[in-house]
Amino acid sequence: MAERREIRVIAERCTGCRRCEIACSMGHCGMPTPERSRIRVLRLPPEGGHVPVLCQACEDAPCLKVCPMNARVRAETGAVITEAEACIGCRACLYICPYGAPAVAPEDGKTVTCDRCADLPGAPWCVAACRDCGALEAVRPGEAPRRACRDAAAALRPVLRPAGSRRCGS
Amino acid sequence: MRVLIVGNGIAGGEVAFGLRRAGSGAEITILSAETTPEYDPCSLPYYLGGEVPRERVFRRRWEDYRTAGIRLETGEKAVAIDPASRCVRTASGREHPYDRLVLAHGGSLFVPPIAGIDKRGVHGCKQLPDADRLDRHRGSRAVVIGSGAIGIEAAEALKKRGYAVTVIEVMDWILPALFDPETAGRLKRRLERCGIAALTGEKVLRIEGTEAVAAVVTDRRTIPCDTVVLATGVVPGVELARTAGIDVGRGIRVNERLETSLPGIYACGDCVETVDACTGEDAMFQLKHNALEQARVVTRNLLGASASYPGAWAFARAHFFDTHAVTFGKTTRATQCELGDLEIVEREAGDDYLRVIVKEGVIVGGQAIGRFADAAGLLIGAMWRRESVPALRARRALLGDGPHGTLAWTTRRLGELLGLAG
Repeated sequence: MAERREIRVIAERCTGCRRCEIACSMGHCGMPTPERSRIRVLRLPPEGGHVPVLCQACEDAPCLKVCPMNARVRAETGAVITEAEACIGCRACLYICPYGAPAVAPEDGKTVTCDRCADLPGAPWCVAACRDCGALEAVRPGEAPRRACRDAAAALRPVLRPAGSRRCGS
Repeated sequence: MRVLIVGNGIAGGEVAFGLRRAGSGAEITILSAETTPEYDPCSLPYYLGGEVPRERVFRRRWEDYRTAGIRLETGEKAVAIDPASRCVRTASGREHPYDRLVLAHGGSLFVPPIAGIDKRGVHGCKQLPDADRLDRHRGSRAVVIGSGAIGIEAAEALKKRGYAVTVIEVMDWILPALFDPETAGRLKRRLERCGIAALTGEKVLRIEGTEAVAAVVTDRRTIPCDTVVLATGVVPGVELARTAGIDVGRGIRVNERLETSLPGIYACGDCVETVDACTGEDAMFQLKHNALEQARVVTRNLLGASASYPGAWAFARAHFFDTHAVTFGKTTRATQCELGDLEIVEREAGDDYLRVIVKEGVIVGGQAIGRFADAAGLLIGAMWRRESVPALRARRALLGDGPHGTLAWTTRRLGELLGLAG
């Protein structure tokens, strides 16, 4: 079994190029169709940035409880996925999702969510496609919040301790 | 410890298997009035409509019970509890002793007092045997009495089976408990576009026919038909508890640990009267996600923890053919007898519609059709967190919608959705 992993989103770095969407649909359906992507780049109007949105595989995932067909299941990899044979396309999982993450497949109306490219030994497709911007990062489970804290602290350093100032305690 | 569970539905099954998952060595017995392993009542309309095969409705198989060491007594309807000797008697006369009892027998279909309701061709659509009977039934014209979620889903399923379908609703709009008239009116038009007739504000007087159903007579017309489906709501099963001396209201009354007025007897699922997690008001949301959450609280308490239940969530979707709608929290009607300023935020784009009910600056409910429904989760989150809409408006005005670093994207999306000035 592949190692468990999470995908960390660093929205500030997202340029809205949507390469992740193309890579995801290529990887999962063999076609460069952003509508089939399990990751979606949300554009925030009027001019304010982009956010890649994908299933967070919540610990207490509400979609698992509202699906009338019990088609939302937690895979061994920790990802929460839709069993396509059971899904009837009612979108309950999409409507209860705090991020609106599940994507609706255009051909059959069934929902699909990120499976962390569990079968892929290397980086997930979207992460590989985002190498230039670095808005997506494959991390070990639980690592994402730690890294976010560290990055936020690093960003504050020049503000709290401007260059040339004396080091704390010296 | 002997744990006896009455009812093999979503809640009962979750308690039994939850105990085993947590490693409990208790002797677990489930008394089921039905004859199958646990199935999901939410799945039944899709089985009936031919979208999934029958085996898909089951949540467990016979061998799951054997492997987990859970005794499933089928065809055993509990009829009496003797709290003094800690024993449950079933209709067959057998007695089942317990140390801890869990009441999870749900509710039953409300059968309205209509003349002719016992005629051949009148069906329920709540349990698997109902769906099986409807599946075997051969007819061409169906009348669905009641337009709640089950009624609409049954109507769609019958339409897909080739029936001519008429839905009759006594209230002035369809899905009256879940949607406001403004939203329901749009849904009704879409229902009619799919070829399902919806008659609102109309009362069924009697069902005619010699032995089998021949027509449904309302206060306005006579509708010839050969099939009638009752979707008139679910009443919580309280008799078993009441006769045992357990405190009951609309449903079985429980404390925040989901224990009834008799120690050692817990209750969860559709038979329980609980509170709305957002408002703290008495609530009876007989929905699957609430049954599951209640069952998990009961499981933890049976395991010796002291878990409390925060209350039930109102969340439901309506889905027929290519129409998708969602509702959460309270409807306008449910807020009308309360004090406080009400603000209704409405958005419309083509066929899509959004309606958010804001009371005293806090989102208390909403409904959405189509594209707007895709972002319902953001609104539900704001409702659960009791986020202040005026504060959101002020923050947006102050910080603007510039690039990252000012407001969380979910907040900005929420502001955009509510049409607050940025």
